[in-house]
Amino acid sequence: MMQISQFEALLARVNKPARYTDGEWNAVHKDWAAARVRLALLYPDVYEVGMSHLGLHILYHVVNSHPDYLAERCYAPWTDMEAELRRAGAPLTSLESRRPLSEFDVVGVTLPYELTYTNVLNMLDLAGIPPRAADRTEEHPLVIGGGPGAVNPEPMADFFDALLVGEGEEALLEILEAARAPRREALDRLAAIPGVYLPDRYQYSPAGPGPVGAVTPREGAQYPLVRRYVADLDAAPFPTKQLVPYLDTVHSRVTLEIMRGCARGCRFCQAGACYRPRRERNLDTLLRQAEEAVAATGFDEVSLLAFTSVDYSRIEQLVTGLTERLGGRGVGVALPSLRADAFSVAIANQIQKVRKSGLTFAPEAGTERLREVIRKRLSEEDLFAAADAAFSSGWFRLKLYFMIGLPTETNEDVEAISDLVHRLLDFGRGALGPRRGRLQISVSVAGFVPKPHTPFQWVGQDETETLAEKQRILQQTLRARAVKLSWTDPAVSALEAAVSRGDRRLGAVIHRAWELGAKFDSWGEHFQPALWEQAFAECGLRLSDYAHQELPRDADLAWDHIACGPAKDALRAELDRALGGGEA
Amino acid sequence: MAQYVCRYRKGEQLRWISHLDVKRTLERAMRRAGLPLALTQGHNPHPKLSFGPPLPLGATSDAELFALHVTEAMDADEVKQRLNEQLPPGLEVTEVWALPAYRKKETFGNIDLAGYEVTLGDSVGREDLQGRVDQLLASPELIVHRGGERPERTVDLRPLIHRLEVREGDDGPVLRMRLRTGSHGGARPQEVIALLGLDEREHVRRYHRTELSTRPSADRRPGAARGRRWRRQRR
Repeated sequence: MMQISQFEALLARVNKPARYTDGEWNAVHKDWAAARVRLALLYPDVYEVGMSHLGLHILYHVVNSHPDYLAERCYAPWTDMEAELRRAGAPLTSLESRRPLSEFDVVGVTLPYELTYTNVLNMLDLAGIPPRAADRTEEHPLVIGGGPGAVNPEPMADFFDALLVGEGEEALLEILEAARAPRREALDRLAAIPGVYLPDRYQYSPAGPGPVGAVTPREGAQYPLVRRYVADLDAAPFPTKQLVPYLDTVHSRVTLEIMRGCARGCRFCQAGACYRPRRERNLDTLLRQAEEAVAATGFDEVSLLAFTSVDYSRIEQLVTGLTERLGGRGVGVALPSLRADAFSVAIANQIQKVRKSGLTFAPEAGTERLREVIRKRLSEEDLFAAADAAFSSGWFRLKLYFMIGLPTETNEDVEAISDLVHRLLDFGRGALGPRRGRLQISVSVAGFVPKPHTPFQWVGQDETETLAEKQRILQQTLRARAVKLSWTDPAVSALEAAVSRGDRRLGAVIHRAWELGAKFDSWGEHFQPALWEQAFAECGLRLSDYAHQELPRDADLAWDHIACGPAKDALRAELDRALGGGEA
Repeated sequence: MAQYVCRYRKGEQLRWISHLDVKRTLERAMRRAGLPLALTQGHNPHPKLSFGPPLPLGATSDAELFALHVTEAMDADEVKQRLNEQLPPGLEVTEVWALPAYRKKETFGNIDLAGYEVTLGDSVGREDLQGRVDQLLASPELIVHRGGERPERTVDLRPLIHRLEVREGDDGPVLRMRLRTGSHGGARPQEVIALLGLDEREHVRRYHRTELSTRPSADRRPGAARGRRWRRQRR
């Protein structure tokens, strides 16, 4: 263990030292010596972000509920803390026992999104664990990845001894059981667990520039590798003694997972494709879990988590039940994801605790034609009905999410976003009457990123310059005082696309970018596109081949061996339907 | 309706969480404890709580204060016990007293003195330290520049230092100080350390607050430096 006084001295010199001090209510401190397998749960982003990731809370609960296992947490140290650790020559430690990660048997890494990957390497390095799996020996922990990013494990294949593809709450205990054995034997046992992928038991044969080529198993390896999922969500373990952070994190509230998966089938959506089927928790289970969690945490808000909360089949009963049980105690209910229709607004109306500030909708595209292409089933009628319901019941701020760079998109589709926003603005002014001055519409525009396992996996992303041009169109046409426009940097979208559709060769690029100093790439103030350009160039690869290239429909793709979502034929047919005019 | 004032301790384990974090933590502990908190009216009801002057980040304390309203009166000891069952190591309610029913919401606006014990490492000798203290106390004025405030201004800290003395602690000398605090102008222990020519990182092991209190009224001179602001606020 690190000397306490040494650690305390570091804390005095960093911002928000409470990121590193643990002791949160409901944190678990198990007896180190008594545990048969010790797991460090690593989250490659800063504490406030990582603490809001439900998956990690579930796994922490599952492991610590088991008598033989222990789980502790570790979030990415902010750059000031990293500098202090490196200067002091002190290793990265877990929160709970402040032991170096290298003393654990297993380091379990969540891969929440592509732009955190350099942080994974950086954290392993800070812990004194060689980032490349090939450089690790018997003395090092097993480093096992999982989470949303694992649906295409290839770009991170070099850095993991194993990855779990799919949902973890059942598989993780099997993984820890296997990890009781010495390293070599443990790996053999891991290879036999359904859904567990050992990259070095597969071989990649690139067949052109970009992620084209087949990954084939060496003898005995699972092929295809079929992702894990929980069949009965209602019976799946769920923590009601949720961790209560001291710091103000992204979401400091009770999270209830009411539903997993989504049946809407939007063609750009990787989560919709990879978390099938759509599963619900029972109403009674949820009401009980909400009461338990509020009693165990003291949070004043319960958030109903789902890809689209209002799609839950008994959402009205759930909301009524929760407000009846909790309202009197000053505990509110939050819906993080709404559909753009009058029904959603009516539900939101029922629960709105805080002053009526804003509602968020995601039309994604400006024209019905383009919404048909991406299979976002939202008519303009619905959207205006939602706006009508919102304005007439006291809301005056709307937030709208759009994407640009979608397949078949023309400049007219982009201009149509402006047109739609202006018409909503006019409508809102009329509806709000004397309160029209408070009307505000925030428009958030992201670049489309083609993702593996979706019908759009073959589609090339718009060139960075094209995306920038489309942004300019919006900036020029969306000029109203009541409109706030925000967008993602096209260079960030390009990197996200390249890593999403990455093959095994990208491991070298990620490693090199990290060596050059890339980290916290999802944080605007830290993202340095020049480092990535240099890394690609030094590895003899082109970002464009991964991000912008339209991939041949009949070629093997670098992630075809991972059976995650719909079959490849079905995806191809869906893409044809999309491009053929959209009659699905 | 009943109102209670609680004195609490902030220990080692939680010295790195901010005043705002402590507020949130206490509020959640009250909810876990099932105390029948009185809520404000309106669209966004929240518990009626008030807190004493914030403690600097990194400091520990035996003397922090907050007040809470509940809808049903209960024994002060019960409030204390139920809260302590729900508080993490590093926070402990040490004393609870009920306020008379006619009292308005306690706001701690009258607190204007804070006592501190500053534990210094052995890098500074006892006699050296005593010399620095004597020199400081002998100064007619101690002007410091506060760049962080807007508008930037200078303050004379001398009248705000009510006591400053050197004591022997378990490991090295301890500075005991009593400083003016509160919204009408106060001195921070860090400022006194700097005035003594000491470097916080090198010499200070721990700031510990020992006391929050109110000066006897005779001590409050209307003509004092901050007097005008005081009167304006009281109007």
